[in-house]
Amino acid sequence: MELDFLYDGLVMLDGAMGTVLQQRGLPPGGKPELLNFTSPELLRAIYREYIDAGSQIICANTFGANALKLAGTGYSVDQVVSAAVAVAREAAAGTGVKVSLDLGPLGELLEPLGTLSFERAYGYFKEAAVAGERAGAELVSIETMTDLYEARAALLAVKENTSLPVLATMSFEQSGRTFTGCTIPSMARTLEGLGADAIGLNCSLGPDLLLPLLRELCENTRLPVIAKPNAGLPDPETGAYGMGPEDFVQALLPCLEAGVTIFGGCCGTSPDYIRALAAALKDKMPAPRTYRSAGFVCSAMTPCFLDGVRVIGERVNPTGKKRLQQALLEGDLDYVLDLAVQQEDAGADILDVNVGHPGVDEAALLPRVVKKLQSAVALPLQLDSTSPDALEAALRVYNGKAAVNSVNGERAVLERILPIVKKYGASVVGLCLDEHGIPPTAEGRVAIARRILDAALEHGIPAEDVWIDCLTLTVSAQQDQGLETLKAVRMVREELGLQVVLGVSNISFGLPNRAAVTRSFLTQALGAGLTLPILNPNQREMMDAVAAFKVLSGEDAGSRAYIARFADAPAQAVPAPAGALTLEEAVARGLEGDAGRLAREALRTQDELSLVEHRLIPALDKVGADYEAGRAFLPQLLSAAQAAQAVFEAVKASVAEKGGTPVKKGRILIATVKGDIHDIGKNIVRTVMENYGYEAVDLGRDVPPEAVLEAVREQSIRLVGLSALMTTTLPAMEETVRLLRALPQPPVVWVGGAVVTPEYAARIGADHYARDARQSVEIARKVFGA
Amino acid sequence: MELDLREPLRYLGVRGEPDPDLLRELSAAADKLTRSVTPRWVWRVFHVKHSFDGEALEGAGLTLPGGLARTMLGDCAQAVVLACTLGAGFEAMLRGEQARGMARAALLDACGSAWVEAGCGAAEEEIAARFPGLHLTDRFSPGYGDLPLALQRDICAILDTPRRLGVQVTPSVLMNPAKSVTAVIGLSERPQPARVRGCGYCALRETCQYHKEGKSCGA
Repeated sequence: MELDFLYDGLVMLDGAMGTVLQQRGLPPGGKPELLNFTSPELLRAIYREYIDAGSQIICANTFGANALKLAGTGYSVDQVVSAAVAVAREAAAGTGVKVSLDLGPLGELLEPLGTLSFERAYGYFKEAAVAGERAGAELVSIETMTDLYEARAALLAVKENTSLPVLATMSFEQSGRTFTGCTIPSMARTLEGLGADAIGLNCSLGPDLLLPLLRELCENTRLPVIAKPNAGLPDPETGAYGMGPEDFVQALLPCLEAGVTIFGGCCGTSPDYIRALAAALKDKMPAPRTYRSAGFVCSAMTPCFLDGVRVIGERVNPTGKKRLQQALLEGDLDYVLDLAVQQEDAGADILDVNVGHPGVDEAALLPRVVKKLQSAVALPLQLDSTSPDALEAALRVYNGKAAVNSVNGERAVLERILPIVKKYGASVVGLCLDEHGIPPTAEGRVAIARRILDAALEHGIPAEDVWIDCLTLTVSAQQDQGLETLKAVRMVREELGLQVVLGVSNISFGLPNRAAVTRSFLTQALGAGLTLPILNPNQREMMDAVAAFKVLSGEDAGSRAYIARFADAPAQAVPAPAGALTLEEAVARGLEGDAGRLAREALRTQDELSLVEHRLIPALDKVGADYEAGRAFLPQLLSAAQAAQAVFEAVKASVAEKGGTPVKKGRILIATVKGDIHDIGKNIVRTVMENYGYEAVDLGRDVPPEAVLEAVREQSIRLVGLSALMTTTLPAMEETVRLLRALPQPPVVWVGGAVVTPEYAARIGADHYARDARQSVEIARKVFGA
Repeated sequence: MELDLREPLRYLGVRGEPDPDLLRELSAAADKLTRSVTPRWVWRVFHVKHSFDGEALEGAGLTLPGGLARTMLGDCAQAVVLACTLGAGFEAMLRGEQARGMARAALLDACGSAWVEAGCGAAEEEIAARFPGLHLTDRFSPGYGDLPLALQRDICAILDTPRRLGVQVTPSVLMNPAKSVTAVIGLSERPQPARVRGCGYCALRETCQYHKEGKSCGA
């Protein structure tokens, strides 16, 4: 469709449908989509009123037309969308007004907050989008999104399955965040990168409160910006929205000056508002816009502008790390998450994620790792792989604007990877090498950098999204290359103006006291213009060097961050007197660091199994006994479990190093039953049991009875723990137990959770009831005899 | 709005004088929470029509059945329905804490429960200020006594919580984000006695450790 009109001048959209229908008799909570069949004349009348008022685009009545919201209505998505678009097209016939398909939120929360997967969400939007195009919609409006992930699913579904232009708007609170914590820059730059044709804000607030947010939005996108505010806020006594048409228009006019060019209304507005707005905007011209051109990556919650030095954490990379290799091969994503969390706490700004290792299916694992990390880590990710399939699969599920590491100057590589980078709006790291190797001179590397930049520009990737890695070579092997790399850094900064990446630690390989060399190189490279050092943020001295550099460069205004960094630093750690603390005491007191250290020491003279059986478990039992006697409470029980986890980590590392047998006492399956989405209780039980040495297969939450059955069958599970929190999900627990009981060799089942009682457990045929994690351990002991 | 640390201690089952280490960590969790998460709420007021089927909220298309609603709203011409949540931000924080260790996560979770209750308390103050001549009943929620849990769905629909608070109700009538509360508060011309506090109304009384020991948690 011709899109020029979105860019030339001002565009009028329509106003509310839902609240207008309520004013005309739709009961609250009624489904407006059914009116497409029962009252098409009412809808037609409303569309005509909007068209008469000046709307150039009207939204068909399809806000809730998705398979989830239509379930139980007796109508298919295709039926509703076809009917709705047909009614809108009849109303628009002969007027030149365009009909948009309207896509609202699905009504179920996506992972990780809810249980709806990104892929299923995509499928629902695809179904509606395809039906909309077939029915003759001329564009698509994605509206009222509060989860960037859901907005991405909708946008990808429309872009990949139709040829329609897309207007995408999200709802923000006054705080500048959506309900799920998405910020304006994250929203703007992610959706622009994914190919939206115009973006904006709708619903939630009146135009007065939306104005500062729209200003921020205009600075963060090159696209036309849409404003569809509510008519103020609703009154809690009457439910009516506070602003009349004149106030609404007066409050909306400053948004024009801020750069908005596409206007409409959301809840509480009506054709009267649109008429007043159209009159007020009649002879107005778009205001000039200023885009904040900057390197940028983000997660949904954390925007990261590259306007200074930003540290990329390098730890999630299995090269030379046996424990991580083992975790990746076993699919132990908790270990990967742990590495990520440590780097976040140490002050990294971006995390590099590499899961490439022989025996690992990267295309399957990388997206799983991305989902796992973004569920609990706020930082943006840099996806590190040479496999286009892995990169595409990971970028697809990444909730934000990622970086891709990497391409190089080889034409075939550029042609393979850059289209994927462009499609998902990512940034890309270009390595200064090609099929002929690494040029020995700075000039040679810069020539490759230039080639990479040109190729990126050809693919529509802006220069601000191109990062150049000038490559750190090992100075002990090629001593002249240290200076050459620094020279290349300077040239790329000065001649090309691009972001510069360097993995710094490679410089000192093979030398004693590596940290001194690495730190010195880091400081010089920062001075030469390095903006994105890749390093181990857990090495405090490296982070100190970065903090100091930011003071010297002026980036850390008033040295505030530097002072804060050292304000609460301990003067000098007092070493514990030798023999002061035993492993047992460290576990009992929940001292993770000490427990891990003492375990590593003990493993020099004691084997893994005996350490666990004769020292760790008795220590845990003592805390357990105190807990039962009311002398210790849940937090202490869990602290001890965490300290035990540190011991197990030492045991696993030792096994990974020496290739011994893992310490596993028995495998349990644990799940929160179907319908139950609250899982902290189950997670507590799992933590405690794992730290008694049981291997837990955790199926997660909202687990259908059949899934439990299948896992028990496939993995020959002997003990199953089920948790339910609410009375409404107890039937699912009963059904799960019933299915398990029908197996030829049923596993032992124990149940627990807030509303479960011993009587209920007995009635549904469970073998045991556990009040808490501690009792769960006792049950496992009975079953496994250890 | 303040978070009273006695509340999370109670949720954690801590009895007697708490250990100073525990208290310090709990206090740190509470600080972190209250600095970055603010409870949000929406409410609406409806006229109450007392009928044989229950207490009807006029214009909301909702009737509250059963003895609890009758007792609570019997003397009230109006009632407020309220929803309060800590939102997705809390859930994200809790996932982050779980990745850092379940002990800290359990503390944060308990603080979250207390914080959403504190939000309800603040909402009550806002409501009381809006109706200076009227007296508020105790706040009561679906799942208390004989008030069906399923009403959570209706209350969220009336208040349009998906759009206005980001709170969804699952098919099994759980609210998501989890730290969310729906409640009803009666408005009366006369002062209202306290009614719904205590073990008799608590869903956990059968497995509660305090209750087994013949004590009360004090809520």
